[in-house]
Amino acid sequence: MLNVKKKDIESEIFTGSMADISFLLIIYFMVTSVFSATRGLDFQLPEDSTTTPEIKREDSIDVHVQQGGVVFVDGKEMALEQILPYIAEKLKQNPDKPVILRTDPEATYGDMIRVFDLLRQAPDKIGVEIKTISIPTQREIQNIWELFGVQ
Amino acid sequence: MAIIRGRARRTEAGIFTASMADIVFLLIVFFVLTYNPEVDRTQVKLPKTWVRTEIPKEAAFISIDKAGVIRVSTGKEMSLPVGSEEEVVTFASNVVAENPYKEFVVKADKDTKYDYVDKVLDALKQAKAKVIFLLSEQKTVEDVG
Repeated sequence: MLNVKKKDIESEIFTGSMADISFLLIIYFMVTSVFSATRGLDFQLPEDSTTTPEIKREDSIDVHVQQGGVVFVDGKEMALEQILPYIAEKLKQNPDKPVILRTDPEATYGDMIRVFDLLRQAPDKIGVEIKTISIPTQREIQNIWELFGVQ
Repeated sequence: MAIIRGRARRTEAGIFTASMADIVFLLIVFFVLTYNPEVDRTQVKLPKTWVRTEIPKEAAFISIDKAGVIRVSTGKEMSLPVGSEEEVVTFASNVVAENPYKEFVVKADKDTKYDYVDKVLDALKQAKAKVIFLLSEQKTVEDVG
């Protein structure tokens, strides 16, 4: 009978390539992930929008953004800093008064956003929340005009 | 003067790498947790706003570049260009049919004509979308002054 001495083999996990794999993963995540904007101005649309709501000018505050960023509130040209104090006065009489934000198709998106952002800051700047900010589209505006027989 | 003749001790120069694995794994965990694949890579100059709300993950994306080119994504795959307003309505209707409370993100260039954005908003209204986010960057004091 042979008396062979058993050779001790240590069991271990080979970790030599771990650093390579880890660095590859890091490089993959760094290359594919980008620092993207993940926030924005939100607005909710009415639950049932099958019917166009009737908008009476005297029941609402009409904010009209025109080409070049000029803003008219209820037909009067106003600087940005004048808009919220004017709206605050109107909301004192009727806190439920909606604000209708219309934008000229030739104006830029940035012009509209500047005014929308301002309206959303109402609680901080004038201490009153504008309960409804409506952003009608050109099609909706035309529908209303047709409803009132305006060409 | 006595000279002490000692045998110089050799110290091998090396970089301590024992903590490298910890650092690498920490970095991997960070990237895995914060990884959010961007579904739309349209280059736009976003408008800046003070008010900003967090956009939910996997919201549907509609991007509009300065020239008015519209691209859409359900939030799961890369965005694809669409040719007309009707295609946006079809896309949004399909998304809403799948999930009526799905959020839509409008990513538009601040210098684009509002007309393009208006048409997209109209399409979303026709598709009965409920929540819309207008993507923006944070406005800072430097932007004002």
